[in-house]
Amino acid sequence: MNAAVHEALRARVKSLEAMPAMPAILAPLLRCLELPPDQIEVEKVTELISCDKSIAAQCLRMANSALFSRRGAIETIRGAVVALGARRLRDILWSSFLIQMAPKAQWPINPMTFWEHSFGVALVSQQLAKKVALPEVEKVYLCGLLHDIGELVNATLLPEEFHNAVEHAVKHCMSLYEAEKEILGFTHCDSGKLLGDYWNLSSDIQNVIEFHHTPADAPPPPALAAVVNLADLLCRLRGMGYGYDELREIEFSEAPAWLLLAKAVPHLEKFDVARFTMELDAEAEEIHELVAAAFQT
Amino acid sequence: MSTPSILAERRTERDGPPDPVLIKIRDLIYKVCGIYMPDNKFYFLNDRCARRTKVVDTASLPEYYEMLTSGPDRDAEIRNLLNEITVGETCFFRNPQQLAALRKTVIPKIMAAKSALSFMRLKIWSAGCSTGEEPYTLAMLFLEESLTLLKGWTWEIIATDLNDRSVSKAREGVYDNYSLRNTPLPFRQKYFKERGSDFAIADEVKKRVSFSRLNLLDESKLLFMKGIDVIFCANVLIYFDGASKRRTIHHFFNSLLPGGYFFLGHSESLFGVTDEFRLVHFPGATAYLRPAPAASGGGVK
Repeated sequence: MNAAVHEALRARVKSLEAMPAMPAILAPLLRCLELPPDQIEVEKVTELISCDKSIAAQCLRMANSALFSRRGAIETIRGAVVALGARRLRDILWSSFLIQMAPKAQWPINPMTFWEHSFGVALVSQQLAKKVALPEVEKVYLCGLLHDIGELVNATLLPEEFHNAVEHAVKHCMSLYEAEKEILGFTHCDSGKLLGDYWNLSSDIQNVIEFHHTPADAPPPPALAAVVNLADLLCRLRGMGYGYDELREIEFSEAPAWLLLAKAVPHLEKFDVARFTMELDAEAEEIHELVAAAFQT
Repeated sequence: MSTPSILAERRTERDGPPDPVLIKIRDLIYKVCGIYMPDNKFYFLNDRCARRTKVVDTASLPEYYEMLTSGPDRDAEIRNLLNEITVGETCFFRNPQQLAALRKTVIPKIMAAKSALSFMRLKIWSAGCSTGEEPYTLAMLFLEESLTLLKGWTWEIIATDLNDRSVSKAREGVYDNYSLRNTPLPFRQKYFKERGSDFAIADEVKKRVSFSRLNLLDESKLLFMKGIDVIFCANVLIYFDGASKRRTIHHFFNSLLPGGYFFLGHSESLFGVTDEFRLVHFPGATAYLRPAPAASGGGVK
């Protein structure tokens, strides 16, 4: 972020105190769940979740939702933890925290659409990282989930201007990123970076938030930002975007993020993008159900 | 966590693990034919395999898979299964996202490049047009744009199929209600005439499409297909063996003008079959581009 943008942003985002703080148990819980699978301790996770009533209730509700109904009634936190699995628990922990941030009245983007996009990018980033054998597979999920978090900052702290930016984007069939640049003078990448800092997120995540639209500018290694950039494009092309017509045509093999990724992983040319794209249609359906379940009251 | 289920995939937990044999069949079909069925289509694949196992009288899916891979009639049986998978797919406006990509991006882009050369003519080829739904859909779309986007331009739609009966049915241009299931009402009213329980395509559409019989494996004939801007070829190449597929695609490449596009069916891919074309993505659709000679990068447009 250059100095002028930073100043413009600072002048408008006077204080991030209006943004919710992270619940106390979230950071240690997420640390537990980011460990390699064989090192994750069910008992510890159960104990931490049991400390927060609302998160515990959310986990039970999700474990018993239509998505997992085959398993029959789940009544204990431990049962829910086992039934949901590490990855889904992480989804739920973040969603239960993040969804309450959506200012319902004046939000110009449908919150469900926003979360479908965020969870979509998280999942697709992870799948893509796995397929191309990027070493940072576990990290990439959270990077994808939080990449657009700056839009929540903009929507919460600058509701009117953000509303104008969204309207401008829809009217001119352009990306929100471009519209924000024109209308606000800064983007969700800049404001997201501020929030990432405020929440004390890891530098990896902060870099993805700041550079997912400009991965070539990301501090090295830029592979995480590149993967999230590609996943973002794919989601916007395959029914997990912002619900309006913005992207026209993309040649992945020539996209800047693709060229960056090609330097980071060997044999990227052997990756079947066409098949991966078709696989996403099943993901889109599932993400839709997951977000709908998270929004059930 | 110690329990393996904790990391199981979501879909697996909800629906139970997909039959591993079905996954093998899916991957076999993709490898041999280039048609891909994502996980949410497993029920469909399962159903189509069930139909075939009944016909060929095999007791189980694993036995059927054996038959597809090492049975004496494996090639024929793969064909039969493909027929089951693609049967009844043909209809007007079959792939709206592909059509949207054509109208919003592909055609304007080609027109921009051609008007710079004052060459105001477009040539579209529906290769393997079956009974004509695809080329007529294209003709209707182009007619709709003829006073706006395409004003001052000449355009031509060529439609070919191997099957004589399909070609004569296409020329006849009479369809049942089912073929029109995706047709938007304004198009239905404007370009079709009811004939009993059937619908006849209007003459103004009919005369814009030239049908002929063509075998895509007949290389001497393919050499005459030149100067094409966009090729559509859905669910045809899936029946070709690797070598024939490569040859036909190479001919398609040569038939297209530089900057021209080639659209496959919704679930098809050319991965590993061509190095000449470049894969491009549109919202909900993909296509293959014959790059223009000086085309330099850009990637995201």
